[in-house]
Amino acid sequence: MKVDLEHLSRLASLELTEEERELLPGQMEKIIDWVGQLSSLATGAGEEYIPVDFKLRLQEDELQPSLPQAEVLAMAPDKQGDLVKVPRVLREK
Amino acid sequence: MNYLELGLKEAVELVRSGQLKAGEIVESYINHIESADREIKAYLTTAFDRALDRAREIDSRKEKGRLAGAVVAIKDNIVTRGIRTTCGSRILENFVPPYDATVVERLEAEDAIIIGKTNMDEFAMGSSTENSAFFPTRNPRDLERVPGGSSGGSAAAVAALEAMAALGSDTGGSVRQPAAFCGIVGLKPTYGRVSRYGLVAFASSLDQIGPLTRSVEDCALITSVIAGFDARDSTSARVPVPDYSAELGNITGRIKVGLLGRASLKGLHPEVASSYSRVREMLSALGLEIVEMDFPSWEVALPCYYVIAPSEASSNLARYDGVRYGLRVEAAELTDMYVKTRTAGFGSEVKRRILLGTFALSSGYYDAYYVKASRARQVISGELKAALERVDFILTPTTPEPAFRLGEKQDPLAMYLQDYFTVAASLAGIPGISIPCGLTREGLPLGLQILSAHFSEGPLFKFAFLLENNIKFSNNKYGINNRGRRKNEN
Repeated sequence: MKVDLEHLSRLASLELTEEERELLPGQMEKIIDWVGQLSSLATGAGEEYIPVDFKLRLQEDELQPSLPQAEVLAMAPDKQGDLVKVPRVLREK
Repeated sequence: MNYLELGLKEAVELVRSGQLKAGEIVESYINHIESADREIKAYLTTAFDRALDRAREIDSRKEKGRLAGAVVAIKDNIVTRGIRTTCGSRILENFVPPYDATVVERLEAEDAIIIGKTNMDEFAMGSSTENSAFFPTRNPRDLERVPGGSSGGSAAAVAALEAMAALGSDTGGSVRQPAAFCGIVGLKPTYGRVSRYGLVAFASSLDQIGPLTRSVEDCALITSVIAGFDARDSTSARVPVPDYSAELGNITGRIKVGLLGRASLKGLHPEVASSYSRVREMLSALGLEIVEMDFPSWEVALPCYYVIAPSEASSNLARYDGVRYGLRVEAAELTDMYVKTRTAGFGSEVKRRILLGTFALSSGYYDAYYVKASRARQVISGELKAALERVDFILTPTTPEPAFRLGEKQDPLAMYLQDYFTVAASLAGIPGISIPCGLTREGLPLGLQILSAHFSEGPLFKFAFLLENNIKFSNNKYGINNRGRRKNEN
């Protein structure tokens, strides 16, 4: 199956190198054709798998200590005061 | 006395009874790692000073935990407060986590000593540790071969006597396969058995943390410590944890074992096949009831896994955007910053899987790939569950072949086929353990995988212990095997 690598890399927020542009289409198509074997297994409109069969519960609404703000901010690549800084998102027309 | 050869359980007993100091054990490990790891390259980061401080603190106390003096290595996708955690990736190269994973907290609460962080395939995607963004790790049994992956650093560290035990993570076989390649024991526990709080997510419906050890006994002891409910992991199960190491030798009742029939063993490496038939002879000699089984759906278990795992990965790895932590490549626009950061930070296998997952989840293909795989997973899982109602254990080879050479598998698909025997248990969420079951003529270790029903780690350990004692793997010396040393090197 042909894959639209430009479209997929846009969806995945990735840019491809020259080498990847050359190698990836063939590799991806081979892998996708291989996983296509799945269609040979008769599953009809059967159930989908659910990884946990025990009941998920909500946690009690209790105040608990969280990570100190200074430690969390220390991980950020760029910050300003108590905020994580990123390039401008909105701009004036 | 050589502390490196000392088993984890014996070492802990000596430290707890005051006959041996944890500090002395740690020092002998540090000395050994400093020389041995120049060749093996099992560690990405060592934590020697911290380990020595911990050891001294443990030695100064009267009351000591269940793992006092155990020198443990941690795969580098499990976060450790204050110790760099890279996940084998450039995107987390300088990431120092502000908290400990639950498994690390639990090990340290029982006085285990963390000695360092081990190498791995980037984001646990791979079966050879060659996908590490930093360097490949070598197999201590033969330095020209891979240790397996993705927990290759952990397996190599344990086999080369650079740690008493290690933690790894297993998504499709990443603990069991490297354990088999390096001749040690590796467990993937039941999904939900061990908390994943602090494990960097790859494929969340599959990921489990498990121990790699030199014996079944050590594996049972570590599992007893790390297993159990954790409110911080919403998939962690509220199922009580027995003391797995207490009753290891005490196996009773008639044991029924499922062995794979011919159809499921097609294309096996001849020495893997003959080792598997020797296991069959041993089981008969032990008087166990053997049932031959075939799993028709296993033919599609690998394709199923390679739709589910990349799909979940593409979603989990969307968080690496350069905003809050990890690598950032600056750009004038926010979206350009995302793209530049991810492009520079991820290696080629990670990109390939993100793109595959993006494909399987994209509009127009979602039903044919992701939904289909999810339904197939239900069929595969049902088949295994039904089989485990007929027998107590299912035995398979862990891998289709022994450890391969570095650089041997260039085609991604050839690498994926490594997981042939391990993915079914991952898809079904059942536990699986790999124990050493012999050596090839060239001296490469082979693994035997034992599968059992959900939350039956207790019986699984007992049975693995029984087989371990009968297989007598004593000819496999741990440490570095000189025979495979690289040539043309001075």
